[in-house]
Amino acid sequence: MSATTTTLYGVAATLVQVVLLGLGGPLLVGVMAKVKARAEGRVGAPVVQPLRDLRKLLTKERLHARHASVVLPLAPMVILASTVVAGAISPLVSTHPLLGSSADILVIVYLLLTGSAAAALAGLDAGTAFGGMGSSRAMTIGALAEPALLVAVIALSIQSGTSNLPSIMSSTLTHPDWVFGPSRLLALGALLIVVIAETGRIPVDNPATHLELTMVHEAMILEYAGPELALFSLGEAMRLGLLFSLVANLFLPWGIMTDHTLLSLLLGTVALVAKTLLVALGVALIEVRSAKLRLFRLPELLAGGFVLSVLAVVTGLVTR
Amino acid sequence: MNSTYIAALELAAGAVLVSAVMTLWRRSVRSIVSMLSLQGMALSVVAIVLALHEHEGALFVTGCLVFVVKGLVVPGLLRRVSRLDPRSRESRPLVNVPASLVFAAVLIVLSYVVSSRITGLSPSDATHLVPVGIATVLVGYFMLVTRRRAVSKIVGLILVDNGIALVTFLLTSGVPLIVELGSSLDVLLVVVVLQFLMVSMRHHSDTDRLTEMKGLRD
Amino acid sequence: MLILGILAIPLATTLLAAGVSWRPWIGWATAVSSTAVLGLGIWLCVTTLSGSQWALNHSLRADSLSAFMVVVIATVSLLATLFTPRTMRQEMESGITTARYARHYVILMQVFITCMLLAVLTANLGVLWVSIEATTIATTFLVSHRRTDGAFEASWKYVILCSIGIALAFLGTVLIYYAELHATGSVHSSSLDWTSVMAVAHHLDPNVTRLAFALLVVGYGTKVGLVPMHSWLPDAHSQAPAPVSALMSGVLLTVAFYGLLRFRAVAVAALGPTFPRTLLVVVGIASLVLATVMLIAQRDLKRMLAYSSIEHMGLLALGAAAGTPLAIAAVLLHILGHGITKAVLFLSAGEIYYLEGTTEMAKFSGLLARRPALAGIFGFALVSLVAFPPFSLFVSELTMARAEVDAGLWWAVAISLVCLSVIFAALTRHGRQMLMGTASTTDAAPSTLAPSMAIPLVTALVACAALGVLSWPLQSLLAHAAQVVMP
Repeated sequence: MSATTTTLYGVAATLVQVVLLGLGGPLLVGVMAKVKARAEGRVGAPVVQPLRDLRKLLTKERLHARHASVVLPLAPMVILASTVVAGAISPLVSTHPLLGSSADILVIVYLLLTGSAAAALAGLDAGTAFGGMGSSRAMTIGALAEPALLVAVIALSIQSGTSNLPSIMSSTLTHPDWVFGPSRLLALGALLIVVIAETGRIPVDNPATHLELTMVHEAMILEYAGPELALFSLGEAMRLGLLFSLVANLFLPWGIMTDHTLLSLLLGTVALVAKTLLVALGVALIEVRSAKLRLFRLPELLAGGFVLSVLAVVTGLVTR
Repeated sequence: MNSTYIAALELAAGAVLVSAVMTLWRRSVRSIVSMLSLQGMALSVVAIVLALHEHEGALFVTGCLVFVVKGLVVPGLLRRVSRLDPRSRESRPLVNVPASLVFAAVLIVLSYVVSSRITGLSPSDATHLVPVGIATVLVGYFMLVTRRRAVSKIVGLILVDNGIALVTFLLTSGVPLIVELGSSLDVLLVVVVLQFLMVSMRHHSDTDRLTEMKGLRD
Repeated sequence: MLILGILAIPLATTLLAAGVSWRPWIGWATAVSSTAVLGLGIWLCVTTLSGSQWALNHSLRADSLSAFMVVVIATVSLLATLFTPRTMRQEMESGITTARYARHYVILMQVFITCMLLAVLTANLGVLWVSIEATTIATTFLVSHRRTDGAFEASWKYVILCSIGIALAFLGTVLIYYAELHATGSVHSSSLDWTSVMAVAHHLDPNVTRLAFALLVVGYGTKVGLVPMHSWLPDAHSQAPAPVSALMSGVLLTVAFYGLLRFRAVAVAALGPTFPRTLLVVVGIASLVLATVMLIAQRDLKRMLAYSSIEHMGLLALGAAAGTPLAIAAVLLHILGHGITKAVLFLSAGEIYYLEGTTEMAKFSGLLARRPALAGIFGFALVSLVAFPPFSLFVSELTMARAEVDAGLWWAVAISLVCLSVIFAALTRHGRQMLMGTASTTDAAPSTLAPSMAIPLVTALVACAALGVLSWPLQSLLAHAAQVVMP
């Protein structure tokens, strides 16, 4: 296998990943809304509704709040850009995307957190009450979720002896018994809690609410309209897709592309879609079954996630 | 065969610890008791897996005994107690839930550090898991110290005992059967005794006022 | 056979008490049973001087130490059971107890005594743990026997704390077993037996043994009433009926201490003397200091006696820390002397409570004028408790102090002497306030004491004094018993 082919397939995989996230992210949001609607006995909007919304928003004119600074138009771009970079280098379809060697798990985490920080700043920027409230809540949740996230990351890297995501995935493929070991399962529990918190799903935040008392994420984007809202929403949807597919790949790595043939690229794509849908289905069912927690009960949930991740580290150390 | 054995052992031991943490996490007595039941069953799985691997008949018997006593009977008794108690929630622990979860994490790390001395003596797949048992013991003590409700104290006591049982199984594949029988029965009896005490106290006056231990002072 | 007999007698009495409803004669039957156990125990002492006895396929074992402990248990339980009919009658008169609870009381009392006997007669260190834990279960309902708020609270606290503590002791026992398995390399049927542990004690892994001994000191220390897990003791002792308090304070604490003595020998063999000594000195001094502080301002009679038990357990820990044969012999003599003295004190305190209706010391004064016989007995027992000659506690405390100085623990002796003199002053003051002074109430004539009460108590005090003056009948036994726990 020549170096050129390797690079070529790397580029192909990266392209597929970005396109998949860009289209699949909004679709994933639609699928989850549909699943929830069905589970609740409603018909629900079509799955492509988020894409249609994006298209509509993109044709509208740009409107800015009177006191907004340059942060307001910049924030959606930062969110989108950071998510695209993270999605491009993460091992989603292939374990060897372009620049996969720099896909350290910490890099991915902090790329995504850059997006969160940008969103919080955007919420503050217009200087309205709701935006600030949303930002402060989102930052509180983020600060509580971050320790759990980092410790869970450590747990994952202890087992494989590396914090490079593609290497973690390929070593998991060679040791399938890890997946059902207690360390990995505990880390999965912790990561699920963190992902739910970071993507603003029930029981942490309700994406469908606009109630002043409870909204978190919706409060931050209250001042957005038109193309900027479209960018913002697209970025958030891609983030959701990226996080779900990363969780899916970490715990069900099978099907990911490890060699360089067209068939495995196709297989990897199909497998990724299937696995991510599985995770989305799981999260949607959790959402249906649970009620949103009151804000001051959130620390309990996230502390639980933290303990699970510490447990994952300790059992990882113990059973290594 | 060997990797299945290790995986089963790790999974069961992990379940013991996770259910211990879950008892700190949950508030309703009902779900705490089901966690205890799960823990008892996981503990018996540890014993049975070890017994099958090392062909120890006595340990197998112990495992079955643990399943019955700690998986079914003791949780059943606690369920009866909690049904007597209308306010079946730990409403005001001395340390709130997030803080106690974080503290539990510290205890877990601590137990890992402490038990490296013991496990160094004869490293094996089983003894490596000893920190899990020590951590369960520490979580149990933490529960005893920080929870005020009478039922929570009993739960803490059972956690301590299950943790010690786990350490026993992992380190020595079980102490002599007679001692194991004695200790299992002791747990059962202690729970029965505590249940009797709670019931008599309820007939007599307010349980929680008594179990908060404010009456007798110097 | 002898060993089986010692265990069978109280067991048979238990079944008897369980089989029929309460009658006063059952109380006397338990006293007869204790007398028989005492007789067999003395016989056992004589036979074990020439070597250990075994029974039941080597699962029971008696050496001089066990035999001596049997005698202590039997002596104190004889005193306690002699008062059973009296206590039950008094409680039924005042409506505290019904025949049903009296039956429970007698059964549990016998189970309690049987468990303690089993604890000292078992060959297996694990069964030792099981029986000590079983005493907790048996005594819980004895503590809550009076069914008041305080009694329930005390027994709740008692069960929770003792179960926690004893769980640690179990962990310690398991670790010793683990170290033993590692040292012998194989499992055999007598693993965890005292003799097989001692056979490999020098080869036990020091790290594991150190942790195990620390857990055992805290664990059994809970049951002994040593700091830091002592707080159940004053509550339980003050709330239980007097004979139960007498048994708990007189022997239950020291039976747990017996466990510690055995494990100390194992630990010294494996680790050398320094670590066990440091640990025991620390808990001993801490208990002594705490007891001193609590005794100074104590207002309740039974709590005062309970704290004095903590003090004496601290002294025992210091004696065990010294660990020379002389020190251990003195510790054993102290166990006997303290058991008898405390039993007399608790039993007469129970009588005082019955007559005066309170245990608050400020509420009664001039006891000596009003109830000369009872107050006299109580006063002499108090004199014995503060280790005045000729009582045996004086001899044992003096010998322990000498042995501790010889072992290089002079500073611990200095601290304990300071504590003892403070305690002496405190107890004397409390005693004077209760016994002397003018009679506050206008009683017509000084009341007398029933002979059924006076005779056993006076005999016990005389025996205590006799032990102090002439300890020769015990000398060879004590020396022999001390040799048992020499590594």
